Amino acid sequence: MTVVTAETVAAPRKSWSRYRHPEATIRFAVMLAVLAFLGWSIAFLNIDLSRVLGAFPRLAEILATRYFPPDLGYVTDADFIRSVIRTLEMSLLGGFLGVVCSIPLAWLAARNITIGRRIAYPFGRFAIMGSRSIHETIWTILFVTVLGFGMLAGTLALTVFCIGFAGKLFADELEAIDMGPVEAMRSVGASPLQVFQYAVLPQVRVAFTGIAIYTWDVAFRAATVVGFFGGGGMGWYLKRTTQQLESQRVAAILLVIIALVLLAEIGSGWLRRKIAAMR
Amino acid sequence: MRHEAGIVEGRARRGLPGHEENRVPVLDVRNLKVSYTSSGPQILKGIDFSVDDSDFCAVIGPSGAGKSTLIRCVNRLVEPTEGDIVLFGQNVRALRGGELRHLRRRIGMIFQEFNLVNRMSVMDNVLSGRLGYTGAFRSFFKAFPREDIDRALHLLERVGLQDHVDKRADALSGGQRQRVGIARALMQKPEILLLDEPTSALDPKISRDVMGLIRELADEFKVPVLCNIHDVQLALETCNRIIGMQDGYKKFDGPSKGMRKQDLDEIYAMEVL
Repeated sequence: MTVVTAETVAAPRKSWSRYRHPEATIRFAVMLAVLAFLGWSIAFLNIDLSRVLGAFPRLAEILATRYFPPDLGYVTDADFIRSVIRTLEMSLLGGFLGVVCSIPLAWLAARNITIGRRIAYPFGRFAIMGSRSIHETIWTILFVTVLGFGMLAGTLALTVFCIGFAGKLFADELEAIDMGPVEAMRSVGASPLQVFQYAVLPQVRVAFTGIAIYTWDVAFRAATVVGFFGGGGMGWYLKRTTQQLESQRVAAILLVIIALVLLAEIGSGWLRRKIAAMR
Repeated sequence: MRHEAGIVEGRARRGLPGHEENRVPVLDVRNLKVSYTSSGPQILKGIDFSVDDSDFCAVIGPSGAGKSTLIRCVNRLVEPTEGDIVLFGQNVRALRGGELRHLRRRIGMIFQEFNLVNRMSVMDNVLSGRLGYTGAFRSFFKAFPREDIDRALHLLERVGLQDHVDKRADALSGGQRQRVGIARALMQKPEILLLDEPTSALDPKISRDVMGLIRELADEFKVPVLCNIHDVQLALETCNRIIGMQDGYKKFDGPSKGMRKQDLDEIYAMEVL
């Protein structure tokens, strides 16, 4: 039993305010500074509001006169449809390879279950961050210069892109697992691989499947552009027609891309909802 | 006992006579000190005790006394900072990598939050207790040997879960889950059992059932037990020996029969009621 003495009882508080001097003032000053910086950049870049607003009618005019009507005959051509199928194949293959490579990398890059904090963890982190920090078009250009034009370069560019994309999401998912089963498996004397298979994977399998589908969705969007830089697929048609100023054909291709990306998004969203329900 | 030869060897290595007394301790802890960070507070401040092969030993004490840390040091889920832990004649602190895994598979552990893999079947959870003895190829394809499966079925029947073999672990109630945990630990054919608050997540009635079951199985398989437990009454009922801890120190060590009211008052003196 503790004896309540006079010293242990604090004097009752009479006043309370949400705004305390140092923290609130600093927060306010930071907000003000950000606003001032935004205002300064608008002034510095000499952004003319009337020009910005005037762009929209001009855009509408160009779309109406040059891009309309879209040349739908061009996109129903057998060669073009074959290139669409190649784009799909590239995104599937790149997505699959990327996901397969990113799972072990994510294992290394997850702080709570990594094999070694000193070497493996920074290695995994660096590999994923490196793939992420370079844009997929740059990867395409790099692989095209090394391997030449074609689908191989495009597929590899998409693979690297997917490693960065899925690896980050996988690692975040791994860092959020319940460590209890991991501890239990370690305490029965299981090896690191067994711990991963028996205590970690069952916890993240559903989330990983969802992420893999989402990765394919994003990879497909990227795959339409990869061809623009020589990576194969429908992007090449986009490049050719824009350079030949065949605006009505460009319009048709853009419509196809919008439709396909929409379809991919709806399909992957539906699948992911189905899988999330299996938890 | 299986570990006896190891102990004699270990004692010889440490310069001790092999059979000085009839009972050689399974576990011998000397001057154990733990702090989680180099600048942080010391959780254990020099603990000495030993566990004999017939002991069902309870560690009691108020929250924050270091009970859980003490238990986790034995299989190195927590790294001790100072002192010696000698288990089956091996110095636990000196082991690394594969040696540590080999020692760990001889130690069964039962957890407060059960620590089952919720999305795996009861059978797979129990079989995972054998992982330390299962090769990489077999474990990858979940192809456990026939005798392991037979043993798992036998143990599940023994803990009263023969009708739940194929259910997912999260379909079971708390008491049933802890029974799965018990079966998993016994799958290892452990030579010592560590229990980390095995009943704290259960209601009083089921707590008694579970502790009774553990006691019964420990007697049947002749496994010594080191158990950290919150419920003093339950500890006095099931255990034959009590270690009382307070704020990182050992305050009491003796048979549960001889424990008096003032011993308990001393252990719990600092707790604000």
